[in-house]
Amino acid sequence: MSEFLMFLTNGLVMGGINAISALGVSLVVGIMRVINFAHGEMYIFGGYLSYQLAVGAGIPPVLSMLCSVAAVFLGGLAIEKWLIRPTYGDEMYSLIITFILSIILQNAALLIFGPYPVKPPSLVFGATNIFGLFHYGNQRLLSLALAAGIIGAIMYLVRRTWFGKSVRAISQDREMAAMLGVDHLKVNMISFGLGCALAASAGAIIAPIFPVTPSGSGAVSLTAFVVVVLGGMGSLKGCIVGGVILGVLENLGAAYISTDYRHIFGFIILIGVLVLRPWGLFGKRI
Amino acid sequence: MKRAGLAGVFLIAILVPFFLNQYWLHVAIISLFYVMMASSWNLIAGYTGQVSFAHAAFAGVGAYTSGMLALYGGVHPALGIIAGTLLAGVLGLGLGGLCIRMGGIYLSLTTLGFSEILRIIITNEEQWTRGTMGLQIPGVFSVYSKTHYYFLFLAVTLAFLVLMRRLLNSDTGLAFRAVLNDELAASTSGIDTVRVRLMAFTSSSAMAGLAGGLYGHYLMLITPDIPSLGQMFLVLAMAVIGGMGSFAGPIIGAIALEFLSEYIRIYGEYHLLLFGLVALVIARFAPSGMVGLWEKIWRRR
Amino acid sequence: MKPVLEGRDVSRSFGGLMALHRVSFQLFEGEIVGLIGPNGSGKTTLFNAITGVFPPQEGEILLDGKPISRLKPFQICRMGIGRTFQIVRPFLKMTCLENVLVGIVGKDEKGTSREERVEQALSELEFVGLGGQSHRLAGSLTLLQKKMLELARALATRPRVLLLDEVLAGLNPSEILQALDMIEAIRVKRKVTIFWVEHVMGAIMTACQRIIVLDQGRKIAEGPPDEVRSNPRVIEAYLGGADA
Repeated sequence: MSEFLMFLTNGLVMGGINAISALGVSLVVGIMRVINFAHGEMYIFGGYLSYQLAVGAGIPPVLSMLCSVAAVFLGGLAIEKWLIRPTYGDEMYSLIITFILSIILQNAALLIFGPYPVKPPSLVFGATNIFGLFHYGNQRLLSLALAAGIIGAIMYLVRRTWFGKSVRAISQDREMAAMLGVDHLKVNMISFGLGCALAASAGAIIAPIFPVTPSGSGAVSLTAFVVVVLGGMGSLKGCIVGGVILGVLENLGAAYISTDYRHIFGFIILIGVLVLRPWGLFGKRI
Repeated sequence: MKRAGLAGVFLIAILVPFFLNQYWLHVAIISLFYVMMASSWNLIAGYTGQVSFAHAAFAGVGAYTSGMLALYGGVHPALGIIAGTLLAGVLGLGLGGLCIRMGGIYLSLTTLGFSEILRIIITNEEQWTRGTMGLQIPGVFSVYSKTHYYFLFLAVTLAFLVLMRRLLNSDTGLAFRAVLNDELAASTSGIDTVRVRLMAFTSSSAMAGLAGGLYGHYLMLITPDIPSLGQMFLVLAMAVIGGMGSFAGPIIGAIALEFLSEYIRIYGEYHLLLFGLVALVIARFAPSGMVGLWEKIWRRR
Repeated sequence: MKPVLEGRDVSRSFGGLMALHRVSFQLFEGEIVGLIGPNGSGKTTLFNAITGVFPPQEGEILLDGKPISRLKPFQICRMGIGRTFQIVRPFLKMTCLENVLVGIVGKDEKGTSREERVEQALSELEFVGLGGQSHRLAGSLTLLQKKMLELARALATRPRVLLLDEVLAGLNPSEILQALDMIEAIRVKRKVTIFWVEHVMGAIMTACQRIIVLDQGRKIAEGPPDEVRSNPRVIEAYLGGADA
């Protein structure tokens, strides 16, 4: 029983990470109708930069994480301005450009960081006794807390700030929003940067637990996309619920059915959703 | 003028085995494989505007189906390749049927997922596929001869291209391009856009299966690299750099990039990165690729 | 006499916003009926409902008495409804000839040869005055020419009813006169019933026999131009009730 609870909690932790990662994708898709294929690479850059800063430059781990997320955010702004903006209106080209970008970044990561998995230092150590039922690693608990914190921050951002209001206005009706004076170029740029930053923070948070490798970026992107489809495009709630469902299913599936095929559960869910309920759990019915 | 040019190219193509050494003949054969792959991918991406990431996966379906049938079932490669083509087409029909209705993004995501899953299955089912070590399968000819393979590839590629050309000039091709230009206007003009896109997707996946089957029996060693995203990227880059949406673009892109990659091979790890950078620059600044640039220069005169 | 095109209590909402509320209308063969209303009154939404792009959620649309609301856009086109778009949408990267050919191919008539189809396409281009432009790319045409091309493409689908969506938008006065002549020619020579959304009031008041007025998704008036022009509710809708 305690083993099951452990797997379940693992699923929750991964679920939180999935949710943040998916939020990054959902934000960009909802505002710009662009799928960032380089999402997975942003995630691993988050992990790698955080490692390099902490281990290579001796910067305290918390600061390393923040710096690496900030760096990816800035990178995202630049990418939106120079690569994505010119493709507005053409869904196909933005897909192609972000796909090419992902290959470039993947290979660049291989060359810069090498093919070996790296693990930044943990922020906390030891384990906690959960309700007397089982022991669970503190770093993992911290990761769950951080993930929840970020989700909370995003929800605040969307509900209370001008940025969030602009985002909601644009995703409902782009033309109306433009008429009302929403600077959609600025909003797009910040959204994309934020999307990349969310990916990087997911990577930075999970890296002390599961080391990052350059070849893992494909699975990360795919997982994020599956969560967004499952939860429903453009739905914040959907990312959270979908992320947790996928995280739990993958962990339980890997534990009890087969570890090699853990990613297949995501794909089966994707196909299932598309066949039965294409707009996902909370998306707009088409 | 154009016919003379084509005849000249054809003549050169036939004479190739006589003035290339074995190594470069091999490169020529590989580039013909990529011509088939890039052209058929262009059919869906360049002509109907759907970016599929499952193209390399369908080639993998063709290669592994035909290879395993030959190895375990003693089936003659010619039949095996046909079986692989049909299976790829059926899977394409199924996959397309699932996601074409939902729009471009969903198609790209689903094909991406399909591609990764196929690669995972092939890698894991080592008992049958030998996973990453590769599966050794028989060749098409009982006596190995690169020249024979070259002519086989050339014949199939030419038949391929002729069929594609006729398709594109037909009413169906017109419908393809209408859907590419403006799907809404096409549908209110009477075009069944879902059916058109599904047809393009199915036939292109069958073509990838055919190319893959042939490729597998030439290499005689098939690995999960064939249905990988890395291969997918190469095909995409060739179509983009050569010129998506034009007929000659992917052909030129495939041949040019394959020969170029042989020169870059000494740099080892950098070659994908270099291709990526070139492809990115072209996609960003010259979306119609080399063919588009050429036409612009030609029109200026 | 039965109407060619009929809508009964057509309703459509978008995310809580009622874009069309129980709109009913009838078009009889050979008529040219105008559809006007302030911005956001639901005119294009009604056209989208008729052509199946955003089908009605309640109510019914009938063509020659047959319900078409559940059909897909391409099927509705084949049954005989053609349309042009508010922002003109020809196939920019295809030639004029190819643009019109798409309409013919869309009609999907068996038993015509390639030559016959090309001839038919060329005659449509002639009809709208683009006879000499058949090999030019649609993207290189002027605005008026693009609109004519859209008309030719719609005519190639042999429609019974033609929906024109703000076809005069963006044209200068002399171009408007040319367009008006073309529309009249279509109605008379091709025997097409025309349903016409327009903001250029002068044109629509003179050309149409009957005008339907929408405001905020509801039909508020219907009748000959003079009646509609002096209808207080219509005036209020456009001016927002402000008194002179």
